[in-house]
Amino acid sequence: MKRDLIYTCKSANPEETSDFARKMKSIFVPGVVVSLIGNLGSGKTFFVKEFASAFGIKDVDSPTFTIVNEYVSNQKIIHIDFYRINKISELYEIGIFDYLNNPETIVFVEWGNLYPDILPEKRFELEIESSENNHRKICVYELG
Amino acid sequence: MITLGIETSCDETSIAILQDGVLKANIISSQEFHKDYGGVVPELSSRAHLQLVLPLLRKALSQSEIELKEIDLIAATAGPGLIGPLLVGLSFGKSLAYSLKKDFIAVNHIEGHIYSGFLMNEKPNFPYLCLVVSGGHTLALLVESESEIIKLGGTIDDAIGEAFDKVAKLLGLGYPGGPLIQKFSEEGDPKFTAFPIAQLDNRYDFSFSGIKTSVLRFIENNYKSSEIMNLAEKENVAAAFQKAAIEPLLRTIRNATEEFDVKSVCIVGGVAANKKLREEVEMLGEQRSLKVVIPKMEFCGDNAAMIALRGQMLYKNGVRHDLNENAFPRNPINLFRQRPGLV
Repeated sequence: MKRDLIYTCKSANPEETSDFARKMKSIFVPGVVVSLIGNLGSGKTFFVKEFASAFGIKDVDSPTFTIVNEYVSNQKIIHIDFYRINKISELYEIGIFDYLNNPETIVFVEWGNLYPDILPEKRFELEIESSENNHRKICVYELG
Repeated sequence: MITLGIETSCDETSIAILQDGVLKANIISSQEFHKDYGGVVPELSSRAHLQLVLPLLRKALSQSEIELKEIDLIAATAGPGLIGPLLVGLSFGKSLAYSLKKDFIAVNHIEGHIYSGFLMNEKPNFPYLCLVVSGGHTLALLVESESEIIKLGGTIDDAIGEAFDKVAKLLGLGYPGGPLIQKFSEEGDPKFTAFPIAQLDNRYDFSFSGIKTSVLRFIENNYKSSEIMNLAEKENVAAAFQKAAIEPLLRTIRNATEEFDVKSVCIVGGVAANKKLREEVEMLGEQRSLKVVIPKMEFCGDNAAMIALRGQMLYKNGVRHDLNENAFPRNPINLFRQRPGLV
């Protein structure tokens, strides 16, 4: 399967990450699934929060407990988190495919790397690496 | 008046029976129950709720010595939560109401928590400051009456319970994080290090993502990984984290009781089970002559008693719902009134 690096961003502070997230609006369009990969505290939820703010959505918070958050404005954004999922059958049980196969929504999946096989082959992967001084390196890959 | 409460918004399946002010049953599904009915079921499945609601109802009825036909009102959680599990409980409640020809109320899960202090003998007095602290929520609210709630602030990122879980994982303590952090903190030194506490534009907002990252950095910088930390080191980091996680809640109580005419303080939700938090809040209450109400453990986590109670409260205030009520995964943005002057 093809996995092309299409964007990289070196961010020195939250403002720069926010700018990058908002710019991705032209790439992450309705119908896409974006798997977010990065350690605890790397800024996955922050990225989605800033991305969604470009659509006027202000109520983004962590979906770790809820598993799925749905945000609605003129654009519907689905924010999923696999962190608390113990086995793949739990994803079937919550009806994961109803969320993943909707041409009108933009889907973000935190910890998507825990169950990559359940995600569509054609997707984006966004890797966030944090380094010292709170700097971040963000890489966006296009798959499939 | 006998009210049946049904709660299925997330992991727990729960059925409660409330007769006027007296709680007759509050059955919460446990692993034991899973074993008794249907073997191993995935924790998060709608099917698990579906398998549990009927046996739980039977158990609640027999424990209360009440017959199904004696029930006057059925109250079920409609949201927020996971849509699949919510639909199970809500549809079950609506079907019961329809078949038994009883009144029905759809209850907001968070409102259930907010008024859960009224399940206690010592009830809060209006207006009260309510802190909703759980795995999914962190809210500071001014509860003026049975229908008026003003939002002072909330988390801008992670919920406090989530921070406990994730820090427990960073320290390699296991799951669920709340009780484990509490246990390890007991022997640890809370002054071992100072994790930063966020200062936000709205002093009633919370942020717990930064503390989590600070703990991660602290472990990386001092020990490389939690695997080579010894017990005392883990206990110290846990205690220092717990102190930093609780402090913003205490600060909120101090600020709110100075700014507003607050009669009581009520701490609700899963994190209200934390012993250190309970002690600190009780102490603060004593210093400031405030009535502190923290529901007992069984009402801290998700439970149907609070749903029955809130349903009954709404019913007595004249609220009636029809059977077209639908489940909702997120709270409507205008659920609470915003504080005047707050942008």
